[in-house]
Amino acid sequence: MTSDHAARIWLRIGVTARGEPVTVGHACAAVVDDVGADGAGVTVMASPTVRETIHATDRIATELEEWQLSFGQGPCVDAFADGGPVLVGDLDRPDYAQRWPVFTPAARDSGARALFALPLRVGAIRLGVLDLYRTKPRPLTAPELADALVYADVVGTLLLESARRGTDDAPPDWPRDDPTVDRAQVHQATGMIIAQLGVRPDEAFARLRAHAYAHDRRLGDVARDVVQRRLRFQPDPPSDGGRQ
Amino acid sequence: MSVQQAAEAFVELADTLIDDFDLVDFLSQVTHRCADVLSVAAAGVLLTDQRGGLRVVAASTEETRLLELLQTQIDEGPCSDCFHTGRAVVVADLSTETERWPRFATEAIRTGFHSVHALPMRLRSDVIGALNLFGRRVGVLDDETIRLGQALADVATIGLLQERAIRHRETLAEQLQTALNSRVVIEQAKGVIAERRQVDMDQSFSLLRNAARNTNRRLSEFAQAVVDGTQPA
Repeated sequence: MTSDHAARIWLRIGVTARGEPVTVGHACAAVVDDVGADGAGVTVMASPTVRETIHATDRIATELEEWQLSFGQGPCVDAFADGGPVLVGDLDRPDYAQRWPVFTPAARDSGARALFALPLRVGAIRLGVLDLYRTKPRPLTAPELADALVYADVVGTLLLESARRGTDDAPPDWPRDDPTVDRAQVHQATGMIIAQLGVRPDEAFARLRAHAYAHDRRLGDVARDVVQRRLRFQPDPPSDGGRQ
Repeated sequence: MSVQQAAEAFVELADTLIDDFDLVDFLSQVTHRCADVLSVAAAGVLLTDQRGGLRVVAASTEETRLLELLQTQIDEGPCSDCFHTGRAVVVADLSTETERWPRFATEAIRTGFHSVHALPMRLRSDVIGALNLFGRRVGVLDDETIRLGQALADVATIGLLQERAIRHRETLAEQLQTALNSRVVIEQAKGVIAERRQVDMDQSFSLLRNAARNTNRRLSEFAQAVVDGTQPA
């Protein structure tokens, strides 16, 4: 991701939020506008069976999330399982009725004709899915897809941060101007912390970010210290999440 | 490079494409074959992240310095230029390019590379990424070797299409994003293994890949299980 693109989208969401703390709802409203969708929903998934819709912009979006959760099939379910987006430009194409026999007719009855499910993932860390729909069939253009992917990155960040701080409305500070977020060492360090603490990947990643935040350092720099074994995380840590 | 060696490399890669295969594992094989057959010091594949940037998905060694060097090319470097123009970029002597790519050229020279080639991965009218070839000495590859390198870049592109067909993914975008996420899972799994076994990232990747092969599992699925803790590593 180029940082300019991400910064532009954070700014857009900030404008939508009108000075209030940024939420997933603001991101959904902004992405609908920016990519020419008719609505959006976000479902958080702890596992394929434990999931909850935390935001939907309207009736159709609400129903689409409901159908997928109750039928256990649909683009959102596949995106969560597979790790990649599922992009359906025209739901009327016959193969979709075969792929999701119960979901597809229900989604069409609700009024959706195009669906785009974007997984909210950081490698093995699965957070949930951002779903977009259109009432007329039309695929995402390349610029629309680029925006949608950055919005999915932003929503993922909001979910990670709200989990770390235990609140929904605390805006993250680091991801907007930290170009080191995507570095390979960040993910390697997460893996090392999983082994050091015996915790799940989402918690390991939260500990790494908490340490960077508490010490006002860039995520990539802290990650490098972990990978080079200059920084080890200890079980039952002090409040800052790590020791040097 | 011998004709025999090149033929063997293509036969091996074509064989992989027939069966169920893992894309990141396949691209990593392509980079290994590049290093052998083209006699270059190191090779790497970068793919578009479809947000305007490039991300590393495979390299001939998993040494952190090479991965980091490849990744500096989000903003500048031969891969970035190659991706944006769709044309091969050939640099005989990196020390003459420190103004063109201040960060990349300096970093490459510090890592011990003095020449670089970037070859486009093209799919009809789209450029989806680039293959990077690094040399330890100043100079360019001869035309025949560059043609062979381009053929390997094309095989890498075919791998993307083929895996998509096997997994019934509708769009190239779905496939590209899945590959980028798989790469992140693999980095996380490398970290788990590096810590448990107290090895470096290159050894960790070899352990991961061998363990996946020995159990007949796809690399990215095996890596996911290692990170989730359902697969001892």
